[in-house]
Amino acid sequence: MAKFLEYVPGDSILHRMNPSVKLICAVLFAVACFVTSNLVFLAVLLAAALVLAVSCGLGRETAGLCKAVFAFSLILAVVILLTTPYGVPLVPLPWGFIGTGSLLAALTVMVRLMAAAIPLFLVFYVTKMNDITNSAVKQLHVPYKYAFTFTSTVHFIPVFMNDMAGIMEAQTARGVAFDGSIVQKVRLMIPLCVPLLISSVRKTNSAAIAAEVRGFNLRTRESGYKEYPLTGIDYAAVALCVLVLVAAIAVAVLG
Amino acid sequence: MIEFKNVSASYDGELAVLRDVSFTVNDGDFVAFVGTNGAGKSTTMRLANGLLKPTAGEVLVDGVPTTALKTSELARKIGFLFQNPDRQICCNTVREELLFGFKALGEEGPDAEARVDAMIERFGFDGDAEPYLLNRGTRQLLALASIIVLAPPTIILDEPTTGLDFRECVKVMDIVCELNEGGTTVIMVCHDMEVVGDFAHRVIAMTAGQVVADGATFDVLRDGAVLKAAHILPPQVTEVSMILGREPGCVPAVAAANTVPQMVEAVAQAKQAELQQVAEAAALADDVLAVLAAEQAATAAAIVEASADYEAPAAAMGASEEEGR
Amino acid sequence: MIEFKEFSFRYREGAEPVVKDISLTIPDGCFVGITGAAGSGKSTLTYAINGIIPHCYPGDFYGAVSVEGCDTVETSLTDLSRMVGSVCQDIDSQMVSTVVEDEILYGLENFAVPWDEIPARVDEALASMGIEDLRDRTIDSLSGGQKQKVAVASVIALHPKVLVLDEPTAELDPASSVAVFDLLARYAREHGTTVVVVEQKIALLSDYADLLVIVDDGRIRFADTPDAVLAHSDELLALGVNCPRATTLMNALGKQGLYDGPTVRNVAQAAAALQEVLA
Repeated sequence: MAKFLEYVPGDSILHRMNPSVKLICAVLFAVACFVTSNLVFLAVLLAAALVLAVSCGLGRETAGLCKAVFAFSLILAVVILLTTPYGVPLVPLPWGFIGTGSLLAALTVMVRLMAAAIPLFLVFYVTKMNDITNSAVKQLHVPYKYAFTFTSTVHFIPVFMNDMAGIMEAQTARGVAFDGSIVQKVRLMIPLCVPLLISSVRKTNSAAIAAEVRGFNLRTRESGYKEYPLTGIDYAAVALCVLVLVAAIAVAVLG
Repeated sequence: MIEFKNVSASYDGELAVLRDVSFTVNDGDFVAFVGTNGAGKSTTMRLANGLLKPTAGEVLVDGVPTTALKTSELARKIGFLFQNPDRQICCNTVREELLFGFKALGEEGPDAEARVDAMIERFGFDGDAEPYLLNRGTRQLLALASIIVLAPPTIILDEPTTGLDFRECVKVMDIVCELNEGGTTVIMVCHDMEVVGDFAHRVIAMTAGQVVADGATFDVLRDGAVLKAAHILPPQVTEVSMILGREPGCVPAVAAANTVPQMVEAVAQAKQAELQQVAEAAALADDVLAVLAAEQAATAAAIVEASADYEAPAAAMGASEEEGR
Repeated sequence: MIEFKEFSFRYREGAEPVVKDISLTIPDGCFVGITGAAGSGKSTLTYAINGIIPHCYPGDFYGAVSVEGCDTVETSLTDLSRMVGSVCQDIDSQMVSTVVEDEILYGLENFAVPWDEIPARVDEALASMGIEDLRDRTIDSLSGGQKQKVAVASVIALHPKVLVLDEPTAELDPASSVAVFDLLARYAREHGTTVVVVEQKIALLSDYADLLVIVDDGRIRFADTPDAVLAHSDELLALGVNCPRATTLMNALGKQGLYDGPTVRNVAQAAAALQEVLA
């Protein structure tokens, strides 16, 4: 299995699409998710995102992704559950109540986050890092330094996660028990940020130097060797996503 | 005691990186695991201290399966030195770092403090120094110290000498050797065959997730088939002696030498034997010569005698001839 | 030609200079091996060649270092990197791409190599390191030895006059280490490239280097052919530099008056020499 946010080689439609178009579509899709609060509409979007992921053979990666986003959205959902007293009261709380409306709101947040996040993350699984940078620079006219910084940051996420896993393993071997409660786990992990930070600083520093001695400063918008032509699929995808956004706005306005 | 019983293992449920591995490491052993990267050595180490659980078979530590032991219990029995000390070091001073293990195991106290002090003295550390500012070799030593301060009965070392220079390497291995002599079981993964040859008592060679040889260090390192299968070269002196041993008439001591002193002595003896042979040959030649000389002398004497006999009548004849004139 | 003239350097955060009074001339096409104990300043020497010193790590720079006649202080890092290709120690953070081919393309694109030349350059670089079959693989899926070959290929695609490598085999097993050195030496011979490599494994260096430099406490202790340097095996051990055991063996025999031939560097030479001794 590929590591978190790391390119998975393949030949699906998503792999072959223009990198910039993929980014734009993912952003449009995410915006659509945040425009509407209609649970049914959001559920349809989530289902569509999942179908898309599975169709590219990224079922396993997406499942892992869903788990991570789910865990995060669950925290938000709990907060919402406890702080939005709407609908028919179900559970009384000292400061209000949990009602059917709160449940609905919590559920909406969870579905929305997952539906919005999946396509965004999916872009990185189906696009080579250099293609994202080069296409963004060439076609979206993003300055190279910003594009490179952004993709490098994304590129370093799995590296740091791998480092953290290694550090935790080393500490486990010394008898630190990470298998306790979440609170305890977080408490144990905080001091380990020091070695992680130090290795990160070292790594980013040597990465910067390595890029510099290979002509980083000479790079211009024209440097990219590969071309990223737009095909019919790209136009269709943008049109579809715009349509989704329009539909989302319509649902929001009319509903 | 660590036992592997038909152990197989894999990561993320993918292809098995270890297949049907069995061996036993007894208390007090000094075992080196050798083989190329990807042969499964590091995986074996991670199974041994329970960081990884087998997908099939059993790993037993002192008779208890690692699946039934908590990490903290395993940490007490087995110390693990990682290849990269920076993943291990996480405290602000050398002293805190050495105390960290006791904290993790909940064994802080005057006894722990005393052991930490003893360790600081033994390694010659500065207790207040910041670990991250130390050089690579000293960080490796600190990582080692922070493990052995807990006095685990077994230590596992994953490539302990990688990235160290010769002096640092000797320092680390001397300490490990001392521990082993004191009864600590040592298991190490090592690419440097000179280190393996110098220190390990037993070698387990692995390739493609399987054990291909397990035996006394030089029995394994002199086995041509094993070396080939595990893609390893023996220590240099051993290799030289193996090459020389293929020659007909090679002196047995030369063909068996594994260290520089052994080989120097074997060669010196071989040369001495050679000299002795020459001397003996020379002595023999002297004897022969003496006999020959004696014979020659005797012959000469006989000739002289004979000629004397001959000369006498001749002289007489000469005289008579003269008289006849 | 690379020239060090009475070069000393102190890192800004360091109390003392890490290299002192270095004078060394490296002719074109020379394969130079630099080794020494940890902290002896050997990596600093390579940083001085590729301009990382003083352009990335500031400090006090004394004397002069020049590459192909260009002073490394006055020449910009970018201009220096047109001549000097560098393979850094931390191979994982050096990679800027997800796929091997993109990694090779990166420098070619930056240095504006004409587009009609690029495909040939990529092919040639991959072939030089024997990794044509890895072209479409993700870098993450490669072994350490393969990654090292990709790193070297991505630099030699730029046709540098000088190639600088900082401990290229530190993380590799012996078999892959030899493979990397073999490919590197062959490429350098065929293209007349000057190679400067810092390496802990002296046995490996002495088999490939024309010039072996031993650094101790910031100063050059030996700079000579490997044979001439290895003749001092006892001194090297005292400096924290491990000699090949085969060399130590023959030098020990020499001391006992049992061998008086030339210095040996490896097992094959030692075995041949001993066969003669014992004949």
